[in-house]
Amino acid sequence: MPRTASPIINFPAILASSIHDIKNSLTHIRELIKQLAKLHSNAENSEFQLLEIEADRMNSSLMQLLILYKIDSSLFKPVIDEYSALEILADVADQQESLLAMNNIELALDCPEDLFCYCDNALINTALVSIVNNAQRYCQRKIMLSAHRIANNAVCFCVEDDGAGYPEKLKYGQDTHSLESNFSSGNTGLGLFFASTIAQLHTQGPEKGYITTDNNSRLGGARFSLFLP
Amino acid sequence: MKLNLKTKKFLIIEDHAAMRKAIREMLYTLAAELITEASNGLNAIAAMEKEKFDIVLCDYNLGIGKNGQQVLEEAKYRKLLPYKAIFIMVTAEQNQSMVLGAMENKPDEYLTKPFNAQQLLTRLERNYGFKEYLADIEQALADGHLSLAIRYCDDKLLENNRRMHSSLLKLRAELAVKVGDFKKATAIYQEILTQREVYWARQGTGIIAYLQNDFAGAITIFQKLIEEHPMLLETYDWLTRTYEALGNFPAAQRTLDSATKLSPQAILRQKKLAAIADKTGQLDVAEKAYKAAVNLGKHSVHKSPSDFSGLAKIYSKTNANQAALKTLLQMREEYINDPEAELRAATLETEVYHHLGDESSSKRAYEKARKLSEKLGDKIPSDLRLDFAQTCFLNGDHETANRQVEQLIRNNIDDENFIDDVRHMLKATGLADRAEALIQPIRQAMIETNNKGVDLYKRGKLTEAALVFQKAIDAMPENKTIIINMAKILLCDLKASGFDRTKFLKAQSFINKAAVLGVTPDKIGHLQLQLEKLSPSVHAKS
Repeated sequence: MPRTASPIINFPAILASSIHDIKNSLTHIRELIKQLAKLHSNAENSEFQLLEIEADRMNSSLMQLLILYKIDSSLFKPVIDEYSALEILADVADQQESLLAMNNIELALDCPEDLFCYCDNALINTALVSIVNNAQRYCQRKIMLSAHRIANNAVCFCVEDDGAGYPEKLKYGQDTHSLESNFSSGNTGLGLFFASTIAQLHTQGPEKGYITTDNNSRLGGARFSLFLP
Repeated sequence: MKLNLKTKKFLIIEDHAAMRKAIREMLYTLAAELITEASNGLNAIAAMEKEKFDIVLCDYNLGIGKNGQQVLEEAKYRKLLPYKAIFIMVTAEQNQSMVLGAMENKPDEYLTKPFNAQQLLTRLERNYGFKEYLADIEQALADGHLSLAIRYCDDKLLENNRRMHSSLLKLRAELAVKVGDFKKATAIYQEILTQREVYWARQGTGIIAYLQNDFAGAITIFQKLIEEHPMLLETYDWLTRTYEALGNFPAAQRTLDSATKLSPQAILRQKKLAAIADKTGQLDVAEKAYKAAVNLGKHSVHKSPSDFSGLAKIYSKTNANQAALKTLLQMREEYINDPEAELRAATLETEVYHHLGDESSSKRAYEKARKLSEKLGDKIPSDLRLDFAQTCFLNGDHETANRQVEQLIRNNIDDENFIDDVRHMLKATGLADRAEALIQPIRQAMIETNNKGVDLYKRGKLTEAALVFQKAIDAMPENKTIIINMAKILLCDLKASGFDRTKFLKAQSFINKAAVLGVTPDKIGHLQLQLEKLSPSVHAKS
């Protein structure tokens, strides 16, 4: 069906600047929630915790959308430098610390101190935070963050959990570039799509980064892997 | 590394009271006790004037007034922070760092909102660890001891600290560039680039190409980098410089135009764009950029009367005479009793009143300008002196005009771009044929003096040579060739007749002056190293 000319000139740009505003408001809302929680005598109140968890998810999604918008409008590509893999993972753990405590989830780090990799650390951080954030929803009580070197000097970051594992429709193989998003199911797989996009932007010669998802977790649940050439 | 925050002085700069409170409470959980808050940039600067802070947490977006970048710029420019202090810029969006980036004035760290106590602590620990590791190098640099900084850096590289390795290599390459050791710098960059396409290493190779006058090579490198990373504004600045060196002002203007579109808040870039667009005759672009500079100047340490007079000049050129007068009025309100601002205003008013047919006001303004120029003497910036000289010519006062032009030529004889500006001015005044008659004798005299000095120097008559150059420096205090040769003679003298504190300091001051005047490191770096070898304090440390 031919589309009639839309009166909206640049919808993605409008969307992006609105997301920016929403993200700012969200930051203030989160501060207010924190203050409200303090006023309440029973600050352990699970409603406040849920608010915090949902706000964190929203923030993570908005951040990913903004970055995807910039990638889509060719405004940026990863800026590559050499980073310590352990520091990247420690940053992810730091960011999720309070949520993990709230959910009573144990997070383990498994990464050699002398593992270094070339990447855009801020982008990898955003991708991993979102995966860990999701893992918290589906795990029982354990998540493991790890990184190790594989063949050809490539590095693999993994997020493993002890939950029920990825459903078939969220399975990524090396050649999967995007999933049929399923908006009606309520799970768009944004986090995985984002991670896959970011991975592919990391290149070395003919090699491209990629992600895989499977259920071969050492903890018995889902395993997400991000490969950087 | 365990960091004790109890004794650290914190400054929180954040316009939202609720956020300020949240950050303060976060700091309390990290055992911090000495916390100052500022709700806007002005208060932040006032706080930094009073107290030396160890850690500054500054939100980029501060609502009305200065933004975070302007606070950082002013703090660095006015040296309000100890060099060990950590400045953290808090931003709403990730990767904003690139857009805000400039050649100078980078914060130590960017932190994206929201962040928690653990994140902040980790960043602080890393930064302190980093600063402590590099402290002796930084100290040597702050003291101007390049050779010492290089030695410390080389020693540390031998330690093979994997975590610091990349940063040390970057620093070592930058130091090599500083002393004109392009071979070493290129080797470092190439080694990194064989591993991976790391942008700072690629940019480094471009900078070296630029410094070695391989402008075509530099342009290829910078253009490709910008294509790959359109948000890396530092590369735009280098590309602009390269085009300027080639005299390709339209391309320099296009590059600056793209950069200011991406980052409209950077005042220095707006100023540069305005000046270049004025030169290329794109008056609409110049007007817009000058307006931006005037507006940004309200909250910036880089505010300058030349932004106002630049804008007024564009208005005058487009015959928007009332707008020009209004802009000059605004300048006077901002710069009360400032002789430079007054001279700028009077020079332009001479022209504007003339356009308006008000000859008596024009004459009055001109008389005022003439008196101010005498009062200011050597303190008149070259761009203003050029405008003033043109006004003198237009008023038929050739005697004053010639004096101004001669001084301009003497001071800028080895700056081809500026000499071209002088030629253009003379052409615009209908005196194109006079240009070479004014320029060539001064150039010839400089060459002769220089040759005479060099000749004496070659015959070992150092004292006589120094006298010749000293005289030349008195006549043209900003001539780069003469200054460098003077430094060479002093070095030679120090080597021949042993250490002498006065001569040593004099040599250092000439090298410093050459650097300030924009002489590239390859021409002075080796002089600096030679001088340091002669310094007794370096020997004592080794």
